[in-house]
Amino acid sequence: MTPVWTQAALWLGLALVATLFSIWFRVATALSEILVGILAQLVLAALVGTAVLGADESWVKFLSGTGAILLTFLAGAELDPAVFKLKWKEATGLGILAFFAPFLGCTAAAYYLLNWNVQASWLAGIALSTTSIAVVYAVMLELGLNRTEFGKTILAACFINDLGTVIALGLIFAPFTPRTIAFVGGCLVIVPAACWLTPRFFRRFGDRPSELEAKYLLLLLFGLGALATWADSEAVLPAYLIGMLLAGTVGKDHVLVRRLRTLTFGFLTPFYFIRAGSLVSVPALAAAPMALIVLLLAKMVSKSIGVYPTTKAFGYVQREGVYTTLLMSTGLTFGTISALFGLSHELITREQYSLLVAAVIASAVVPTLIANAFFLPHYLIPKRQDSAGIEGASESQRAVRVPLSGLSSDLDGK
Amino acid sequence: MLKRILVAFDGSEPAMRAFRMALELAEPLRAELIVLAVAQLPEPAAMVESSAMLESATEHYEGDFQKLRELAASAGNAIDTRVVVGHAAEQIVHHAAEEHADLIVMGHRGKSLVERWLLGSVSKRVISYAPCSVLIAR
Repeated sequence: MTPVWTQAALWLGLALVATLFSIWFRVATALSEILVGILAQLVLAALVGTAVLGADESWVKFLSGTGAILLTFLAGAELDPAVFKLKWKEATGLGILAFFAPFLGCTAAAYYLLNWNVQASWLAGIALSTTSIAVVYAVMLELGLNRTEFGKTILAACFINDLGTVIALGLIFAPFTPRTIAFVGGCLVIVPAACWLTPRFFRRFGDRPSELEAKYLLLLLFGLGALATWADSEAVLPAYLIGMLLAGTVGKDHVLVRRLRTLTFGFLTPFYFIRAGSLVSVPALAAAPMALIVLLLAKMVSKSIGVYPTTKAFGYVQREGVYTTLLMSTGLTFGTISALFGLSHELITREQYSLLVAAVIASAVVPTLIANAFFLPHYLIPKRQDSAGIEGASESQRAVRVPLSGLSSDLDGK
Repeated sequence: MLKRILVAFDGSEPAMRAFRMALELAEPLRAELIVLAVAQLPEPAAMVESSAMLESATEHYEGDFQKLRELAASAGNAIDTRVVVGHAAEQIVHHAAEEHADLIVMGHRGKSLVERWLLGSVSKRVISYAPCSVLIAR
């Protein structure tokens, strides 16, 4: 067991370093872990050899896969069913558009502009079709839009958008054999049954130190994950579905959600994101920077085509409409999950994987930067009369808002 | 005449000094005190992590606010407390404008040159863009 413990210590050490970076530089832990994974692979491979990280060891793959499943489940469980019930028509319409436009646009860009094969192009379309619910939610909170009809609809639409991504990921590469039918049929039986059983089971046996709830949920997720992979599908599909459908019960149990978060962030997702980063080939990125730009632009342009007209239909003025559209062009976690799925199923090459992960990371940062610099909604721009007189100040500078780490931590008590 | 004072609060010692100063100022003038804490999420916000941070920040500040309420009550005053999400300077300026605050009181944290270069200064930005007077407690 010594090599396993040594490698485990190395991975957790990297996770700790990534967390410290995320605290110092105020970036998302997932992003920091991916970047640490890229660097670790570069540095350790040069110093000790490529095998030192053991990214393809079965136990690393297991922990990494469990991290992706639990993270996806928790993401689905953040859905607010009340909001969704209220606005499901608009949210579904917008969510479908926000999924299909980049899905088809990025697939076409990969196929026609980058000359990728059909399967790799579909995968690029899926990886770049996501919307980062977290980014949209954070901005909605900042602007106070989370309480408005518009904000609630957009948030619900983001869940539909990502549901489209996981369904596409789960089914588009499926071989459509009897196993696929068994998987879909199994989901159609098990998922509603779990929705009925779970709250009753938890009420009867839950809330004890033996952590029955966590064991039950892991059993459900592993079981459905096994069914999905047996049918050559993807385990995150049932995890997201179960998460969304249990949002009204499990999602409201804050103590349980916190315990699951501790397990997920403290132990599992570092393996997932560091592994995703360690598989990125930096030389491949350096060799084809234009391909990265093509993928990023394809996502942003096609998202705009899908989302912007809808914001106009909601009566939003141009600035707010473009701002919302740009925010819905962000994506990180599901994009990485899709790219890793493609690599592990040999749908894409290591070079294509590297470009996709880089495009996904860029799509998590670039649209937000542009949105904050040029399209900040008017109500965030101070109306102070003398602000117009600040020498050399552009409108965005007068708006105070500075992207990324442009603001001080003077006032952060955390 | 100061009718409404907004205190930017982050739970640090300088922020506590700023609060005490605001309390002293508010007492003779019978000014209304609003205490604003800003929860700054990492960028880009990532799924699940953001909700966890938000919950943690809200709980953390609610604990602090309880102490501030007790302090204010002992001085015969009451305070209005809020936790908002976003970038610190932006939210302070935005809420000062929205609440028609006559004064913003905030603490000053000494930082290294590197930190200033990387992160800038919230107090400088608030001074530059505030719609009212700003008092930095040292």
